[in-house]
Amino acid sequence: MLLFLLSVGLTLIFGMLDVINLAHGSFYTLGAYAGLAIAAVTGDFWIALALAPVVVAAVGALIERGCLRALYARGPNAQVLLTFGFIYLFDDLVKWIWGAHVRSMPPPAMLAGSVALGALRFPSYRLFVIVFGLAVAGLLWLLLERTRLGAILRAGVYDREMTAGLGVNVHRVFTGVFAVGAALAAVAGVIAVPIQAAYPGMGVEILVRTLIVVVIGGLGSLKGSLAGSLILGQAETFGKAWFPDTSMFIIYGVMVLVLLARPTGLFGRELR
Amino acid sequence: MERLTRRRFLGGAGAAAATAALGPPARRASAQAKPLKIGLVLPYSNVYAVLGESITEGMRLVFERESWTVAGRKVELLREDDEVSPQVGLRKTKKLIESDAVDFLVGPVSSGVLAAIRDTVHQARQILIVANAGNDEISRERCSKYIFRASFSNWQPNWPMGAWVAAHVGKEAHLIAPKYSAGFDMMKAFKETFVPAGGRVVGEDYTPFPVNEDFAPFLTKINQAAPRVVYAFFSGSQAVRFVRQYDEFGLRARSKLCGAGFLTETDVLPAEGKSALGIITGHFYSTLLDNPTNRQFVREFRETFKKTPDGFAVQGYDTAQTIVHALKATGGDTQNKDRLIEAVRRVEFDSPRGRFRFDPKTQNVIQPFIYIREVREVGGELANVVIDQVANVKDPGTGCTLPG
Amino acid sequence: MPWVAGTYPVKLAQEILIWGIFAMSLDLLVGYAGMISFGHSAFFGLGGYVAALCLKHWSPSLASAVLLPAVAAGVAGLVIGYLSIRVSGVYFIMLTLAFSQMLYAAAFSTEWLGSSDGLPGVPRPSLPGVDLNLTPAFHLYVMVFFALAGVALDRIVRSPFGRVLRGIDDNAHRMAAVGYAVNRFKLVAFVVAAVIAGLAGSLYAQFNGYVSPEMLFWTTSGEALLMVIIGGTRTLAGPVLGAAAFIGLQSLVSSYTERWMLILGAVFIGFVLWAPAGLLGLVQEGAEPRA
Repeated sequence: MLLFLLSVGLTLIFGMLDVINLAHGSFYTLGAYAGLAIAAVTGDFWIALALAPVVVAAVGALIERGCLRALYARGPNAQVLLTFGFIYLFDDLVKWIWGAHVRSMPPPAMLAGSVALGALRFPSYRLFVIVFGLAVAGLLWLLLERTRLGAILRAGVYDREMTAGLGVNVHRVFTGVFAVGAALAAVAGVIAVPIQAAYPGMGVEILVRTLIVVVIGGLGSLKGSLAGSLILGQAETFGKAWFPDTSMFIIYGVMVLVLLARPTGLFGRELR
Repeated sequence: MERLTRRRFLGGAGAAAATAALGPPARRASAQAKPLKIGLVLPYSNVYAVLGESITEGMRLVFERESWTVAGRKVELLREDDEVSPQVGLRKTKKLIESDAVDFLVGPVSSGVLAAIRDTVHQARQILIVANAGNDEISRERCSKYIFRASFSNWQPNWPMGAWVAAHVGKEAHLIAPKYSAGFDMMKAFKETFVPAGGRVVGEDYTPFPVNEDFAPFLTKINQAAPRVVYAFFSGSQAVRFVRQYDEFGLRARSKLCGAGFLTETDVLPAEGKSALGIITGHFYSTLLDNPTNRQFVREFRETFKKTPDGFAVQGYDTAQTIVHALKATGGDTQNKDRLIEAVRRVEFDSPRGRFRFDPKTQNVIQPFIYIREVREVGGELANVVIDQVANVKDPGTGCTLPG
Repeated sequence: MPWVAGTYPVKLAQEILIWGIFAMSLDLLVGYAGMISFGHSAFFGLGGYVAALCLKHWSPSLASAVLLPAVAAGVAGLVIGYLSIRVSGVYFIMLTLAFSQMLYAAAFSTEWLGSSDGLPGVPRPSLPGVDLNLTPAFHLYVMVFFALAGVALDRIVRSPFGRVLRGIDDNAHRMAAVGYAVNRFKLVAFVVAAVIAGLAGSLYAQFNGYVSPEMLFWTTSGEALLMVIIGGTRTLAGPVLGAAAFIGLQSLVSSYTERWMLILGAVFIGFVLWAPAGLLGLVQEGAEPRA
């Protein structure tokens, strides 16, 4: 589900802006650390979960306006490279501000224990993460399919020039989408802390897997992100437990197979 | 400018005066006046940055006490960041050896970096004091006359644990460690005494490394098998994840978690929180050790750096003490390599972990004790409380041909 | 003492030359053919491992040292390239990345490849009358291959083939429309780049006397990409300049500050935003008024 939250943000940004945001992992890291900082001050996980994404969204908006906008004319390669540079910048910045120590916080008290599922016990917090992820997926779907904003976005994904021609302020929509994508990554970051702990390199580690999810599902497709994260999650879980010798290959193997069979991912659109 | 001085801790003022006061003959004076250069190849960025920092702080504490002058020579630390990359580590090592002509090389944290720089160090006849990396092979088939290790071999903290766990915790164990050389080294050492003591390994898992966010598949497996003991090695962020997720899956009540000391070292313990309570680990050190050297070390470390020292800081401390004692033995001379090596081999002093000396056969430290520690709450803080100990643990050194 | 204090700068220069070869080969893809690959490290590492194995276990000859590694990298390039060029853009990036990561995983978990710790003790080849263990001799040796790779790439990019590649980068549809087999051209470029990257990797193995899985990891590709961008794409001198700048900065700056990554990131972003032609572009711009 973490992967879903991350990949959906990434795919949203790509769908609208045609930018593969390699700094997406850094937004995840920033979100985790902003969450830790807010939780440290307020002592409340939920406030952290609500506020950290806002902070990161602001950072995202700044990057889009300040740097990315200048590059739209120069094609996608320049944008990919730019966001690649931000990985180095943000990772080191996080280390500078918060230090390299591993940090963590406990899950909120009401989700601390584990619940019985048949014979096995399953951690409550993980159940919450799954429910939460599905809720976000539902909300996004409603937003995209049932609102005017959603209609604009879908139109923008389909044909950017045409949408601009219809009198929509594409620039503002771009900034908004980039910020929302960043915020989703930050949500994932905050949620991850009680399970996985936070440290400066966490974003880079998860970036590659997020990219794989997005690519398997098909760039720009919400459905694809959900399918991709499920497939990858299953493949990984299965592989780790039963084929530990090959577990490092499995996620890449799955991606290679999918791409060879369907060069634009499961639900991807044709590239121009 | 501030950066420069932070990087190159030049000895305190008055070092020159100290040399003058010794009043050596003119020729000797010029040789002695040369600063003692110690090159550090440690990670200051990337995953192990905290360890590099801790080791450096342990060293600084020693040289601070000596007022940055040892046997009439001003001490200069040259820090180089190896970024936990064998390639970068190798380049920085060459720089320190050839460009800076350091008297002692200290490092590295990562076993990959140590494996990479070993031949270069050996061929250059450069004295290296390993301050962390525990690859067994460096005390065995790849040992070198020029390489000492003041930290540990991977074998050391785990070997005594096998018999101990079998006798005191349970005879059915599931083993879990990251899938790389240190993980294999450590589990092998555990089995060496666990199985002969009547223990049975009911399962063994090696998890993806260096990246593994989620232990859920392994924990589910362990949950189903419900062994009496789970023996683990993880460090850094993976230790935090493993310990937290172990608790999350409710395994704490069913299987006792034991492991190598890194699992609950002071660098990760606060992040693990109460999930770590009750974990039993074997390590050469605990902050709580009640000996005068350690009491002073912990007090001074807290005063100077405003934090609690961990085993890594002790490794740095002992590395620096080794240099100080060897140098005093040669009267500050580092030109005569053989004499210097001999002096390092004979070093003996009180370390926070106990009486420190090298095993002449492998030039690896003989652990005065491997302490069996349990995580408990002491004065509102989590700590590794010593519940038992095994004395004089030295690596078997199989395949090492140094003249013992 | 066989080690003279003065050899470190020479060794740094050798390292720059080797990375320069690697970066140039990547630029053939990125700058000329418009294919951003995050999996170029596969060939660098493969060349390194093949050289290490052959030199250690077979014979200390030139064939072991450079020929076989380059051929092996070329064969791998043919396979990976054949599969990867069927997709483009991000999919191409991800597919190349996947292949290099799979090779990384293989090296990392294979005992006879040294697993996580890599293979130490790689000898340098013995040539008649030359001792490559001496720094000056090895320097000359590296220079020779650097020159060979440079000349070969220069020939290629100036040839009609090179012009077609640039045409593909500028507008693949038009090139296809006028009858060029776009994918075949891309594949040839990919294989050539792989061969040269394999050569660079083999030299790196001999230079370090050691290979590690790190050579195959995708961040190695990322670093080469940084060099290409900082130096200047679609030139051959650019990537070399970039390699010099990168390694120089890494070796010098990081001795004084822990914030080296931050500086690197900022410098890189600056180049992407304001100096897309890279260092070389800046140099040429500065020289222009006088010229």
